Amino acid sequence: MKFTVNWLKKYIDFDLSNRELADRLTMAGLEVDSVEELYPGLDDLRVGLVKGVKPHPNADRLSLCEVDDGESVRRVVCGAPNVRAGMLTALAVPGTVMPGGFKIKPAKIRGEASEGMLCSAHELGISPDKAGIMDLPADLSPGQSLVEALELRDTLIEVDLTPNRPDCASVIGTAREVGAFVGKKVKHPGAGDLPELSGADLPFAVEVRDFAACPRYSARMVKGVKIAPSPWWLQRLLLALGLRPINNVVDVTNFVMLEYGQPLHAFDFSKLAGGRIVVRRAAKGETTETLDGVERRLDEEMLLICDAERPVAVAGVMGGGNSEVSDDTVDILLESACFDPVSIRRTSRRLNLATDSSYRFERGVDPQGTVRALERAVELIVELAGGVAVPGGVDLKEGLPENSPIDLRVRRCNDLLGLDLSARQIGDYLESIEIDADPVDEESLKVTPPGFRVDLEREVDLFEEVARLVGYNEIPVTLPHVPLSFADRDPAREIRKEVAAIMTAQGYNEAINYSFVSDRHYDMLGLPADHPARRNVRLLNPLAEDQSVMRTMLLPGILENLKRNVNHQRPDIKLFEVGKVFHPTDSELPDEEMRLVAVISGKRNPDSPPLHFGEEECDFFDIKACGENLLNELRRDQVEMVSPKETPAYVGGSPYLALQTGAEVLGGLGRLSADCLKRFGIKTEVYFLEVSLTGLAEVSPRPKSFEPLSRFPSVNWDLAMLVPENLAAGEIIEAVKNCGEEILEEARIIDIFRGESIEEGYKSVAITVTYRDDSKTLEDETVQKVHQKIIDLISTRFGGKLREA
Amino acid sequence: MEDELQRLRGEALVRLDGIDQSGDLEEFRVEYLGRKGLFSGLMKQLGQADPAERPRLGQLANSVKAEVEEAFAARQQALADSAGRESDKGLDISLPGRTVPLGRLHPVTQIMDEVCGIFEGLGFAVAEGPDIETDFYNFEALNIPPHHPARDMHDTFYFSESVLLRTHTSPMQIRAMENKKPPLRMIAPGKVYRCDSDITHTPMFHQVEGFLVDEKVSFADLKGILSIFIARMFDEKTPIRFRPSFFPFTEPSAEVDIGCVICGGSGCRVCKHTGWLEILGSGMIDPEVFKKIGYDPELYTGFAFGLGIERIAMLKYGINDIRLYYENDLRFLRQF
Ligand SMILES: [Zn+2]
Repeated sequence: MKFTVNWLKKYIDFDLSNRELADRLTMAGLEVDSVEELYPGLDDLRVGLVKGVKPHPNADRLSLCEVDDGESVRRVVCGAPNVRAGMLTALAVPGTVMPGGFKIKPAKIRGEASEGMLCSAHELGISPDKAGIMDLPADLSPGQSLVEALELRDTLIEVDLTPNRPDCASVIGTAREVGAFVGKKVKHPGAGDLPELSGADLPFAVEVRDFAACPRYSARMVKGVKIAPSPWWLQRLLLALGLRPINNVVDVTNFVMLEYGQPLHAFDFSKLAGGRIVVRRAAKGETTETLDGVERRLDEEMLLICDAERPVAVAGVMGGGNSEVSDDTVDILLESACFDPVSIRRTSRRLNLATDSSYRFERGVDPQGTVRALERAVELIVELAGGVAVPGGVDLKEGLPENSPIDLRVRRCNDLLGLDLSARQIGDYLESIEIDADPVDEESLKVTPPGFRVDLEREVDLFEEVARLVGYNEIPVTLPHVPLSFADRDPAREIRKEVAAIMTAQGYNEAINYSFVSDRHYDMLGLPADHPARRNVRLLNPLAEDQSVMRTMLLPGILENLKRNVNHQRPDIKLFEVGKVFHPTDSELPDEEMRLVAVISGKRNPDSPPLHFGEEECDFFDIKACGENLLNELRRDQVEMVSPKETPAYVGGSPYLALQTGAEVLGGLGRLSADCLKRFGIKTEVYFLEVSLTGLAEVSPRPKSFEPLSRFPSVNWDLAMLVPENLAAGEIIEAVKNCGEEILEEARIIDIFRGESIEEGYKSVAITVTYRDDSKTLEDETVQKVHQKIIDLISTRFGGKLREA
Repeated sequence: MEDELQRLRGEALVRLDGIDQSGDLEEFRVEYLGRKGLFSGLMKQLGQADPAERPRLGQLANSVKAEVEEAFAARQQALADSAGRESDKGLDISLPGRTVPLGRLHPVTQIMDEVCGIFEGLGFAVAEGPDIETDFYNFEALNIPPHHPARDMHDTFYFSESVLLRTHTSPMQIRAMENKKPPLRMIAPGKVYRCDSDITHTPMFHQVEGFLVDEKVSFADLKGILSIFIARMFDEKTPIRFRPSFFPFTEPSAEVDIGCVICGGSGCRVCKHTGWLEILGSGMIDPEVFKKIGYDPELYTGFAFGLGIERIAMLKYGINDIRLYYENDLRFLRQF
């Protein structure tokens, strides 16, 4: 909603600066979006009188004009076709800076001196009219400041209206709100008695076939109008508010809409077949051409205004081209109606056609206000376009929303707002914006909302009005008294926080990606056609093809991040993301699973000083460490890393371990295949980990429990064994740890060696074994016995041989 | 003899303590521990002691001498250290530490955790709901029927006529109230989605919804809780104002502004020259919402509020381009 300050002042007296006005409106709930000085930079322009026009001797299209600037007569060369002797127009004398920044200087144009410029409204930023120089009203005098002569000094204020306040989509509604905070009443322009519109003895007839969609239809007729451009004051206002002036009749309907908030429509009466208006639903497949020249396909839920034969307007949205007011229109029929908001909104959406009219109707116009606005328009049309109003008119109504009184309980109001107002104070506040409020007693009021406040239906709606009028900032600040209770935590959030802490402690930085991705990602990963990750949930209205399906994996997103970083000379990367993936189900909503993904690429310690860490590149054991740390810190001992029979398509033959509890696979870690990286356009090796946090959350953590610290010393004995080349060293360690010997505390691999000194087909595995007895200091013979058992175990189970030193 | 030994021990240790130059230390060594030193002299006198006492005294004399020798060595080391060890020669301590830096949380997560932490401190429970919602939870139950103009404020991504990506975290109000009776206080952090993408909008962003329901909760209480939040999140002195607004699921509704943190209130581009920044939406929960989930609106009242995390991060950290949030450029992520 836009208005100008000067215009507003015609309806309410106030003495506030523009800034103050904007602040007060914002604090009243009419959020001011912008405050803008209109037509800046025109201060140097004057009214000039063209005294004589001669053709330019050297150019057909130019004229030599003698222009009276109020002080002297000067020669100006002009190219406008409409220049004529005796006209008043806008004159820029040398030295004037035009709105575009161009400075007028004395010049020679095709050999003739020119001292200034005659300007079009377009050149001055006043209107889009480029047709010629301004043709100013004859009552101005040369030399006057143009800004003063045309009353251009004004400020445009734009309010971002909330959907509940259609009453303020009008200057009168806005003035009413201003009145509340300046303590004044609105000056209504047409405050006289309204005529009785009985529908009798008229040259036209109206039939409403659907009162549910059109609860009120008022109409009057004006005969013998003379269609012409509107006077300057009206054009100027419409231009300032961003509307295009059309002619005196159409401009009046627009003006009254902006003034009262009631959309109006003027029909050329001669074009209404049968002199009839019929309000009905569209028939299936019916079409009509609207004013904008577009053929509209209608459906049975859309409401139409028709004449005896055909549609002449889409009700409340836009008029039809077949009945519009044109230059030769003589008689007009004026419509002022009230339509069902839902019906208008639906039609407007369906036709993808939002207008100033549909904006107001879909939010709700004052059902009591149709005749008042109609009368105002008739008055103005007669004044500006001449003609005679046909006495009487039509005012059909059925099922109009009633303004039933609402009981307002004073205590309830005070309790909800935290205030301590009396019935009388509440009444005064409401009366200040023309809401009838009669105190019944100390404890209650009977409140009747006015028709224009379609948003006030319940007691609580009135509480908001009271709060608003008191001022939100005047309401005290207190804290609620609520009983103490334990605040529940969300388990999914808790594990997310735990995981994030473990990951950042290892140097991984958190990424967040969109939840919607492209299908293409699954091809890039090389997933087979029947892979479960390809079963996804698809958006009906994605913004872009690469955001069209809900992700089922986190890996593709983070690979895109990795690529982006590499492209920005940031090749050393440790990133992770915790987020949801979405799987379709048989029920209405998909399954939402929380997952973790991590990637590492480039240097092992990306932000560490190279001085200390050299250029060490990460490898498989970095990502494996990440998995081990995760499982250890989460104490998910039941989750094992196993080498699966089959690796994911994006791993291929690269090293990979699956994370499993029993047979259930929760995720995996490893290196991405060269093929996959190529499809993502990544040129460095990438190691990744992915795991279901929803799955991990279901695995119970190992409880924390204390084990006494031994008072006796431990001893470390090393052993080096030759074992078959292809044996997994991890299996030896597992076997040793599980050998069942009480005194064996720990076994670790210290070295693996292959080389010339080692027998073909074998490798040397060096292990350090820690022994300890919790009840006494160990003796060598005891250790020797167990140590030998371990050597025997490795020899017999794995075909190992003790390596001779 | 024994007394003399103890006296010598005490004297030697005290003197040793006072020595801070290696020259003095050498002097001490000659005087006490040298071949002709005081301890040697005392040892020689052992021969004249009672033969029965001699072994005990001998042992004592040895242990005292050993103690003093140990103290001497320690002192020698200490003096050497203060002069600089041989192995430290040439160590350039201006070189960087052997850091293995920790990773960082995404700024959105950091702000989200901070916001949640403040409300957790006030006893609010935390619950995250589904990102994919039904029209009922996202709109209908929140008093936004089909064809309500308020749906214009929510450009919605749909999966079907009735299933959509939540446009706000408010559906958690309904889900929580369906399952519990008041008193209730809860926040719901999470991702939300709007079918809108330009310089100031990303199609996905983060919100925290909060609400409190009990008997006799007032608008003044809403102001109290949100004032605490803003004082914690920004600064005790941050100006704050409440102004009327409209949300279909609250009545009265309020927009909360804080004094512009960029210009301090004098007016700048960020605050559109008003000196104020919109920071959260709030209001008293509409009785229609209570009716929908079966609460008695005469008995219970409550308030709800919602705030955008990216916006707060932008204001707190001065981030000027929202697209940076989801590009995951390490140069960006490493700044917070
Ligand atoms: Zn500012």
